[in-house]
Amino acid sequence: MNAPPAFESHLLYPGEKKITMEKDTKVPNACIFTFNKEDHTLGNMIRAQLIKDPNVVFAGYKVPHPLENKFILRIQTTADYAPTEALNNAITDLLSELAFTEEQFREEFKDAKRKGVHGRQTGHRNEDEEM
Amino acid sequence: MSLDLIAAAILSRELYAILPFRRSNMPYANQPRVVVTELDDEVVKFIIENTSLSTANSLRRVFMAEVPTLAIDYVEFEQNTSVLHDEFLAHRLGMIPFTCDEVVDRLQYARDCDCDGFCERCSVKVTCSADCKDADTAQVTSQFMRTPEGSSVVPVSMKQRGNDEDYDNSNNDHILIVKLRKGQELKFKAFAKKGIGKEHAKWNPTCGVSFEYDPDNELRHTWYPKPEEWPQSEHTKLPRDEHQAPFNSMGVADRFFFSVETNGALSPENIILSGLAELKRKLTFAQSELMSVQNDVQNEALVIH
Ligand SMILES: [Zn+2]
Repeated sequence: MNAPPAFESHLLYPGEKKITMEKDTKVPNACIFTFNKEDHTLGNMIRAQLIKDPNVVFAGYKVPHPLENKFILRIQTTADYAPTEALNNAITDLLSELAFTEEQFREEFKDAKRKGVHGRQTGHRNEDEEM
Repeated sequence: MSLDLIAAAILSRELYAILPFRRSNMPYANQPRVVVTELDDEVVKFIIENTSLSTANSLRRVFMAEVPTLAIDYVEFEQNTSVLHDEFLAHRLGMIPFTCDEVVDRLQYARDCDCDGFCERCSVKVTCSADCKDADTAQVTSQFMRTPEGSSVVPVSMKQRGNDEDYDNSNNDHILIVKLRKGQELKFKAFAKKGIGKEHAKWNPTCGVSFEYDPDNELRHTWYPKPEEWPQSEHTKLPRDEHQAPFNSMGVADRFFFSVETNGALSPENIILSGLAELKRKLTFAQSELMSVQNDVQNEALVIH
């Protein structure tokens, strides 16, 4: 009866921002980002990429409540390196990783169909389509 | 900078030049290796190496919750004298997977479409008319559902297997919607719309997604009171009589065994490719929004000073 609409988990309301940022004034070079209508899928992945960057002093994320469709990401960086820059680089790196992964999948699927490697079978409606 | 460091820097720059995908300005990006070990109409099994646990898990999540498919989302009953009430049937109809490999990328989400209700740019019409005239119980199954002539969108039980034109699908396991007694009738018009599993599980294209790493538990991410009570993984590297590898304190999870089974709405390959595309779309959008956040901050700074 009073359930929130199902699209609330993934659609931004009119005027709602995907990302908001506030400075963490307690320590130098730290920012708190709020990602609206996103969850662990993006949060954990971005966090993991951030901590690979040696100029990131701290990166952590949390989903404050399971019924609130957002996550909060806190980043602290070394001097001369802004948290926004770190986040931007992390996203760029993830995008390149996914592009690389996709390339490999396309190659593997093509191979699997051509050769029908043991255990692999062929036969799809859109087999002729260039994927 | 010491000489050693300079040498290391030069060496690494050369390495970047050799590896085509690694760029020197992206030293922290993973370069996963994918091996597809099994592929048929229903399942794809693959191994991803050299990626993080988080990325692998995000892939798993996105395959299930954010790959768009088609499912019935609106039903108009013209006649329903069956034993099940309209809402009950509408729910059952929503659960039927429809093949949508060829159309789902072209279709719009109904909420983004400029039509008033349903049009061919945002939905697929499904009709059904069935009744029972005999003393024997009649079964209304997914076989009775009609989509527009020539449409590739059909209930999965009607899908031809492979490229076999002569494939007889009359013996397929059609999905039972309701049983009718003599004199009962069911007639409705419905629309299948595009959606994602996050909104409703009926749009989830997968049946089973398995995700495994560290088959011999050398990382001790879990603890077995009696390891010998647990069966060995199919990916194990241990001899039969061993149950657990010794603890590897320096180990990192970087090899992931996936199995993705489709419910028939999409081919397994399309689930993977659509999932990757969706994840990239989310990241690209986040990045562009981050740019606007940065611009806002800069503008604010200009106003104050
Ligand atoms: Zn429309």
